[in-house]
Order: sequence, then structure tokens, then C-alpha cells
Amino acid sequence: MKVNNKLLNKTPNSELQTPNSVGSHRVVITGLGIVSSIGVGKEEFWKNCLQGVSAIKPIRGFDVSSYLSKLGVQLPEIDFKTFIKPANLRRMDRIGKIVVSSVRMALDDSGLDLKNEDPNRMGLCIGTGLGSSDTVDQFFRSLLKDGPTGAQPLLFQTAVPNAISSHCSIEYGIKGVNLTFSHKETSTEMAMAFACHQLKEGKADVILAGGGDELSEPLYHVYSMLGALSPGRGRGSEGMRPFDQDRNGVVLGEGSGILVLETLEHAEKRGARIYAEIAGVGMAGSTDGLLRYDQKGDSIAKAMSLAADEIQIVDYISAAANSTPDLDHAETLAIKKVFGERTREISVSSLKSMIGEFDGSGGIRACGMALSLYHGMIPPTIGTKHLDPECDLNVVLGQLKRKEIRSALLNGCSNGGSNISLWFKQYSSSSFFSDESNF
Amino acid sequence: MRKRVVVTGLGAVSAVGNTLPEFWDSLINGKDGIKEITAFDPSPYRTKIAAEVSGLDPRAHFSKKELRRLSRCDQFGLIAFREAWRSARLDGDPIDKKRVGVVLGAGSGGILSVEKYFRDFYQGMKRPSPSLLISYSLATTTDLIAIESGLRGPRTTTATVCSSSSASISVAYELIQMGLADVMITGGSDSICEVSYSGFSSLKLVDPESCKPFDKRRQGLIIGEGAGILILEELEHSLKREVPIYAEFLGYGICADAYHLTSPEPNGEGVERVIRIALTHAGVSPEVVDTINAHGTATPFNDIAETRGIKRVFGERAKEIPISGIKSMVGHCLGSAGGIEAVATVMTLETGIIPPTIHYEVPDPLCDLNYTPNHSIKKDVRIALSNSFAFGGNNVCLVFKKFSSE
Repeated sequence: MKVNNKLLNKTPNSELQTPNSVGSHRVVITGLGIVSSIGVGKEEFWKNCLQGVSAIKPIRGFDVSSYLSKLGVQLPEIDFKTFIKPANLRRMDRIGKIVVSSVRMALDDSGLDLKNEDPNRMGLCIGTGLGSSDTVDQFFRSLLKDGPTGAQPLLFQTAVPNAISSHCSIEYGIKGVNLTFSHKETSTEMAMAFACHQLKEGKADVILAGGGDELSEPLYHVYSMLGALSPGRGRGSEGMRPFDQDRNGVVLGEGSGILVLETLEHAEKRGARIYAEIAGVGMAGSTDGLLRYDQKGDSIAKAMSLAADEIQIVDYISAAANSTPDLDHAETLAIKKVFGERTREISVSSLKSMIGEFDGSGGIRACGMALSLYHGMIPPTIGTKHLDPECDLNVVLGQLKRKEIRSALLNGCSNGGSNISLWFKQYSSSSFFSDESNF
Repeated sequence: MRKRVVVTGLGAVSAVGNTLPEFWDSLINGKDGIKEITAFDPSPYRTKIAAEVSGLDPRAHFSKKELRRLSRCDQFGLIAFREAWRSARLDGDPIDKKRVGVVLGAGSGGILSVEKYFRDFYQGMKRPSPSLLISYSLATTTDLIAIESGLRGPRTTTATVCSSSSASISVAYELIQMGLADVMITGGSDSICEVSYSGFSSLKLVDPESCKPFDKRRQGLIIGEGAGILILEELEHSLKREVPIYAEFLGYGICADAYHLTSPEPNGEGVERVIRIALTHAGVSPEVVDTINAHGTATPFNDIAETRGIKRVFGERAKEIPISGIKSMVGHCLGSAGGIEAVATVMTLETGIIPPTIHYEVPDPLCDLNYTPNHSIKKDVRIALSNSFAFGGNNVCLVFKKFSSE
């Protein structure tokens, strides 16, 4: 990569944005990188997503015999060497490899040539709920076993949550804005929202945004002890079934999704394929308890609120619904509150039914959203057999739905009460529309 | 135009004081908060000291039931938040709590509690208390503050560890710019835990005697703990409430070294860039910067890189700018370092006093700036910077200005 020394040699400020000016750049999605349990890479992910493939299986790799829950949605074996430079690969733990691989795929998909980009105008905004939970656990165990002399510096340096974005910045020499968010199930949604704002203001040309989490043994243990996993307190069968009357908790998943976000000017100048536009973000907090979602849906509704004319063009909601009794119901109430009579016209689906629930799921779900807008197809919600009468939305069940999507919302809701909704719009130039719609 | 954002509330818990006045009084008098560790048994370690919060009786602040669930990190955060909330007079004023949000920076968060759980678990205890696991998420303290006060605005947590709470202040500012909030609670909280202590220890980055930023004898950082909370408020909103204004927040810079997982870029190129980005955002030229609250960890490499970066931005004038390394007194508070240092920076603007870098005796030819050695100084300060740098080269610089209504 070319090192850009322009910043250093010119008079201060000449390369940067005019002081106090507020840009109003449009933000578009031009690349997708996906490491998911239903597919590594955009093509495999999207094919399986549309077919409603389930990757829920008994947990591999550690012993779950002492837990009520036995299932998880784990990634396939991945040959990370194909995505990451060998010298850097050695320093990465598993979650680092997962996210850096998704960055690699997103960059490849976008067609960006890093040689032509100013590294100071490129950024990284990464969300991860528990980051390197497995590395932290290994480090702690070695500390317990051998005392301070057992503490391994190589483990510690990858154990910090921002190690993931540091791996990415080092791998690609990306020197602009670099930030890590960790706020439960809204970690990645916030990373994307912040990235959009940076681009809108003209502080960067390109930001890689998204992130993910890994399913580790300590994490499974914690979720299980806190009673968050299906089958809850033991009633009913274990499974992921958003909006179903028999839903009883989440099945843990893992993976990473990265979007190449870019100002429209920059994307057009290089003739990039544009999947969709991100046109807005809403955020609101609920205060019902530390491990509770918004109970009445008021805060989720506030996060989703749009102007009256904007409400008319929403055709799809990629729901946060995660098969917990509370959240799926609250999100239903919120959607009805916002859309009123239009509620039945809006298709709703939860990709978590396929990829499982994890804090950093928003990156993959946003990639799915971009593909939905681009291809006019909505993946089904799987696992759901009996729609809860209290969740009487127009849920896409069984098979995919073809539909032109003018705009759509991606919801993220965390227990404890952070709610974020990102508003995606179809990018209007139709000449880009048909080149890949072969699914 | 961007909205103007001001600081209307401050709260601090630290090794040198558990309230803002006590904290500030200690800083300007050069009080060292570093003592022998009590949070865990330090005897197996090469170093046995830390900047721990002491003399704080949690029972004066929380009920027994609350104390069973709150991690030490949560307690510091809530105590500093309550002080900041009162100082911004938000307890009395009728405000729209849907327009008040919370963004904190996190480091090790409640790992001290999680450590206890897993220590018990791995040592064979059948059912360690699952309530210790509530702190497993770094978002816990952020959520608790919002829940306690019914704050329904935007909420998130930044996690770049050593620069987390400077990043959180930047994010809080942007959430006001985005029109999503009028008031943001921000800064950070963190507590000492064995994972972070042994981690820095394993990297041989800990000084066994004292924290001596920029001094030639420096051997590394000393872990600290505490919370620094700021209330950021949109100017018009604060004027309507007729509340005193501590300072104006002008802007920030965030960037990456893209150099190494733990070492800073040695020539100060990343430091230079982040200061320049911050000054540009703030719309101020380097000539008008009056003081810098340094990251100043006292690790051999950081202090050289930071010095070089400052010289690259300010040239000859760099030697005239008083620089403070308050980690010499409060230690490196990781997830709350940026918040605590931002509180100190704002107090410098408010009082015209620049706190010292203590234990400064032997100059290092590679760190040849004015570090305000051992005694605070009085100076009319209009523009102040606060630097924070993290592992992996996650750099943040904040720009504050003495408030004037023009």
C-alpha cells in the first residue's frame, strides 16, 4: 500500500475538511463481506438465506452436557489463510480472523483498489459485544493455573475488544477514524450509525463498518447461567423461532458482517456497484431493567420513527426479534405503533432465525438487508410454525418473498435497553439493478 | 452549522479523591494516589502498587441489595454520574428524558466480578453466584446509569480501552449533532482487576515504584481506577436552563496508527495526525493551544512518540505549551482514563490552573518539552487539548475551550 505523506508535508489543515462546515454527503453501500454459519462469502450466504437454510446444530468443540441448552449456530471450518496475510494471521485470535476475513471479502466485493485510496480517508467502525471472550478466558485460566508468570502477553494483546479493529487497520494500512463499540446486541448497529455520520460530514471517503462475535465456551456458559438461552426454564423444545407462540429464548450464533460504506460522490467517481443507501438512523433507550428489553415497544418505536411521507415507502423490516418472549412482542407493538394501518403491508423477517442470536449480528443482517434491497427479495423467517397472535405482523414465513423494496428498516435492540434502527433505501439508479439478480 | 456543545456537569471518583472538589484539589497539589494493592493479593507480582480508589464507603451510596449486583466499576460510574447530574442541576429542572442519552467508554468494566465468578467456577465451586455475571457485558455501567435516572435517549458504549472514554465523549458530541439528544452523559468508569493488571505486567509495561511520565527513569504505567463523567449539553438547551457552563467542547479527532498491536508508531506520526484532525474539526489553529493534558502513560515508547507528535504539530512553540501528565497521580485508569483526564482538562479551563506531572526529576533528552514538573501553574487558558492513545494505535484527541457566549 502506498503511504500517503501528503498530510505531513503540507501546511496544517489543508488536506482536511473546512473547519465547522457540516457536510451532507449521501452514504451508500458498495461492498459486503460475510462470515456466517449459513455461508462464507456473499454468494453462499445469500443463496442459503433465501432458501431458509438452518445451521442450528448440537454444539461442537466443548461440552454442554451440564446445560439445559445443547444447540448453537456455529461457523463451518474456515481456511483463514485464504483471506489474511500469514505474518498478521499469527497474531490473531479466532474472532480477529473472522472479522478480518469479512473485511477482506467486503473490500474485494467493493472493487476498491487500495492503491488509489488515501489511507487517512478510510476508516473502520467495528461493533462486538464480547470480542475475544475465548482469549480472555484462556488468559485468565493460565493466570489461575500458573500465577502471574503464566500470564501470556500474546494472549493479552489480542484480548482487548479493540484488537479486532487494530488487526483490520494493520492488515490494510487503514489510518482514518477507527472506533470499537461494545453495547450488547446493538454494538454493530451503532458502529454503522457512527460510520454513516462520519461519511455524511465528509470526514472520510470510505468506512468499513459492521463487526461480529464468536460463540465461545465461556460465553455459552454466561448466557446459560443468566437464563437467556432456549429452552429457557426447561419448558418446550429448544430452538430459534422468532414471533412463534412457543418461542422460549435464543440459540447462540456467531459470525461477522462488514459493509463498505462510501460517500455517493466517491462511489460514483470510481463507478462502483451500489447495493443501497443508508439514509437515516434513530436511537432510543428503554429503562425496564438491566437484562430486559424494551417492554412496551415505546423506545423501539421511537428509534424507528420516520416522517409521514417516509413511512409510506417502507416495505420491509429486518427485525431484531430473537425468539425471546419479550422482545418479539415489544417489537410487534412498536411496528404497529409506527405504521398503524400500513402494518400489514410491510413484510417482516428475522434473519436471526437462521444465523442465531449474538451481540454483533447486525453486521450480517445489514449485509442481508443490502442484498434484499438490491435484488428485491426478502429471506424467510424459519423455525416459526405457529405465529403468536400477539405478534400478528406480516412475517415472511416458509419461503422467500419477491417484492420491490423502496426502503426498509434494520432494527437492533439490546437487553438493558439500547434500541437502534437504521433506515436503508433502494439506490435509485436502475441501470445497476439487473447485473447480478440471478438467484 | 454544527450545534455548539458545552460541558455543564462534572463528576469524578479517583485514587486522589472521590468527589470533584477533592479530586481537583489533590491534582493541583500534586498528590500521589498510588499505594499497595488491596483488590487482590499482589504478592506473586513483580510490582505491588496501583492507584486504587480508597476511603469510599459504598454503603453510603447503595443499598445492600444493590451492592450484591453492582460491580466496583458500576459503583464508581454511578457515584460520579450522580455528582455530575447534580452539578448540572438536572435533578431539579424539568427536562425531557427522551432527549438525554448515555455513552460511556469501557476498559475492563466489571471483569473484577466476572473474575470472581470464574475463579470460583474453575476451582470447583458448584454454583457461584450468577449475579456476578451481569457485568459480563461492557455495556452494564452505561445501562445502569440510564436505568437509574430513566434516561431514554440514545445509548452506547465505546470499547477501545485506553482511549475508550475520550472516544465516548466524541460519540456523545456527535449524537447531539445528529439531533438525537440535547444532553449526553459521557466519560467512563473502570476498576482494577487481575486480568488487566497481570496483562500489563506480562507485557513488562508496569513500573514497580511510581508513575513517572516523561522522566528518564520511567519504567512503565501504574494501573489506576475510577470514573470521570461529563455532561455534554447543546448550548441553547443549557442557556434555557440557565445553568453554569464549565467549558465548550469544540471537537475531536479519532484515527489509527495502523502500525502495531501494542506499540505506538515511534515517530509520533499517529499522534500528529490525531491532533491535527481534532484542531481542524474544532476550527482552531495550533498557535492558540494553551495546554495539553497528555496521554503520558510513562511507558518508555508512549512518552517519546507523544512528545514527537506534539513537536510535529506545534514546532518551536511546543516547548512553550505546558503539558500535564496526571497519570503520575491517578494512574492509568484504562476505560476511564480519558474521562478523568477530560474532567481535569475542563477544570483547568474553569480555574486557570494546570496540574503538574509529579515524580519528574531526571529529564529525558527524547522528551524535551514543558511537562509542568511537580508543581501546578496558573495560566489563563483558552484552548486545551486532552490526548488518549490505545493499544493498536487507536488515537483520540479532544479540544475544549473556555466558554464565552460569542
